[in-house]
Amino acid sequence: MGPQILLSVLFCLIAAVHAGQLSLQSPKLTVVGPDGGKLRSEPISLQKRADPVVLGANDILKLTFQVTDQTSDGGVQPHQTFLRFFDSTTGEEGIQPVKVTPSGKAKFELNMAKPPSSLPPSGTAPLRVSLLLGSFVHGPAALDLFDLHVPPSASAPVHPDESFYHPRPEIAHTFRPEPKLPPRFVSAFFAALVLAPWVVLFGLWGAVKPSVPHLFSPSILSFVLSLALIEGLLLWYWVELRLGHILLYGSGAAALALLTGKQALVGIAARRTGSSK
Amino acid sequence: MLPSLGAVCLSLFSLFSAIRARSSTGDSVLVLLQPNLSRDNFTIFFDNLEKQGYDLTFRAPKAETPRIIEDDVPGFNHIILFAPDSKNFAQDVTPQSLVTALNAGTNLIVALSPKQTPIFTLASEFSLILPPPGTPLISHFPARDTPPGVIPVSVPPVHPFLTPNTPPIWFSGIPFAHGNNPLLVPILHAPAESFASDTDSDASADVVFDYAERGGEGLWAGSSLGIVTGFQTRDSARITWVGGLELFSDEYANKPLPSGDKSGNAQFARDVAAWTFHEKLVLRIDSTTHHLVNETEPREHYTINENIAFEAHISRYDPESGWAPYSGLHDLQVDFTMLDPHIRTALLPVSDEPGLYRASFRLPDRHGVFKFVLDYRRRGWTSLQSSTTVPVVPPRHDGYPRFLSAAWPYYTGAISTSVGFLLFATLWLAGDDKGVKKGKSAKTE
Repeated sequence: MGPQILLSVLFCLIAAVHAGQLSLQSPKLTVVGPDGGKLRSEPISLQKRADPVVLGANDILKLTFQVTDQTSDGGVQPHQTFLRFFDSTTGEEGIQPVKVTPSGKAKFELNMAKPPSSLPPSGTAPLRVSLLLGSFVHGPAALDLFDLHVPPSASAPVHPDESFYHPRPEIAHTFRPEPKLPPRFVSAFFAALVLAPWVVLFGLWGAVKPSVPHLFSPSILSFVLSLALIEGLLLWYWVELRLGHILLYGSGAAALALLTGKQALVGIAARRTGSSK
Repeated sequence: MLPSLGAVCLSLFSLFSAIRARSSTGDSVLVLLQPNLSRDNFTIFFDNLEKQGYDLTFRAPKAETPRIIEDDVPGFNHIILFAPDSKNFAQDVTPQSLVTALNAGTNLIVALSPKQTPIFTLASEFSLILPPPGTPLISHFPARDTPPGVIPVSVPPVHPFLTPNTPPIWFSGIPFAHGNNPLLVPILHAPAESFASDTDSDASADVVFDYAERGGEGLWAGSSLGIVTGFQTRDSARITWVGGLELFSDEYANKPLPSGDKSGNAQFARDVAAWTFHEKLVLRIDSTTHHLVNETEPREHYTINENIAFEAHISRYDPESGWAPYSGLHDLQVDFTMLDPHIRTALLPVSDEPGLYRASFRLPDRHGVFKFVLDYRRRGWTSLQSSTTVPVVPPRHDGYPRFLSAAWPYYTGAISTSVGFLLFATLWLAGDDKGVKKGKSAKTE
């Protein structure tokens, strides 16, 4: 029986201790402009979220409140009095402790000209400001105060290797421009110009009317054919052959041309000397 | 004859055990337990591991054997260091030997406590910023009947490797701030209302306030702090730092939450071990190849401006079934690099072919020795790295276009010169030498 009573007494004691929930009395916010003029001054309602507070680069935000015990309404000094600034878009968070006197009175100043290092790097989204009250003897309280717009700050430093952990920007190679060809008719015109002397040649040909009576003599025909073979080989080389092929076939054709050429020259010499005799 | 038979048996046995391995790297685990704790404090955690096929070896921190590194080879695939209060270890357990083991591919789970020990100091080498010794994490939220140092922490519902909807877990220990090192893998953050403090009464509120004013690292508070944080080295070995040993204990696993539900400690501890011991988020490159777009075989070298395809086969490890082709990566990229990346393009999974990723692109018009570089690093996943060298050459002398319209005048010029020469030679050789005859006839006349 004894221990049971002791236990229940202990339980009641714990319950009594925790019955006193922490709360705020007369919370008030003031925004002071750079020239010392009050831009805004109003009590904070804990039931309804206040309008967002907008701070300029040199404005000062002042918060005053008294921490009280909800049951006794007396001022208390809690163990933990933290203002939490939270950016829900980036997940960045800043915790700023607030000094509270033993009577529970607290004053907090946020000077945007010298922002505390705990203020998270901010973007365009507002920071949610809430007050965390915690104590060993009283019940804790988390109070949502207001949204705060502060001037955007430089982003947090990034590790040099951080970019490797995200998809990196694609890189495309810039190619040299394709070489431009002149219009085909220009090329065709100049090709025709190159062929023009043949017209003159054939014109004169008609006037001279050369004849080739010895064309079918064996020595000359074979030389002419071997010359044609060399020319044909060169044409073939241009179309598809490789250098190795042309050297092989060309040397054969050249040897043939040398032999037949000698024959042809001997034949001509014989004909000429024979006719001069 | 006998020894060779024995060797065959041994290799068969090792093959068999390799097939049955739970982790992708191996199943042997060394557990260093500090003397005032026994295995009985952690039966749920350790029995879970053994049930899954891990082979646990227990050792006191001051015992000489088995050693962490024997003959420069790590003796175990994984190490669990549950000795946060031990200041003196046997000679082979030093921060250096732990780092050496980590470099050799051993995975570690390390528990910390507010006491300053060599292991406590080692944590700062892993980009964790620890609070001063003796300052545990406390939280007055939510109102509950446990001491402020024993905190229910909710587990994120969406996480790459934690089981979804794990109930909150009990935690007591220290928090750590994270450096901006991308090798860190945050697993569990501290609750937003918690902070590190060594004070134990409301009267010391000013001390808490002064922490922040003192400068330096300031106050360890809020949800940006980690209490369980992984770190994956560049070689993909994993080490997990846990702020408090009690997270793994039977006491916390069985302790009901303030809401009356069962705590998630057992499941969370299992998930942390599964990630650390290379069961989850483990990838590997099976092979890479390259070829021209309309071919299948790789070439010795490629010519500038050709269209080329790069392919990679990637597998993921599954603790139940082993390695299997994996097509789930949608942010792979491949670089085509000569000193600088010339081309970086997406390496996309090919539908209908599991595990195959392909990128095709036109080679740049620069010749030289290029590399296909595949460098895939994501927090929590093992990194994929591969580099394939391939020379890119300019076209051969006969590789250029041959019949350009711009060159028609030159072609006709060359051909008509040849034809003209042939015609002249024929005329001169086979022609009538009228002139000579005329001269002769003039003479005779």
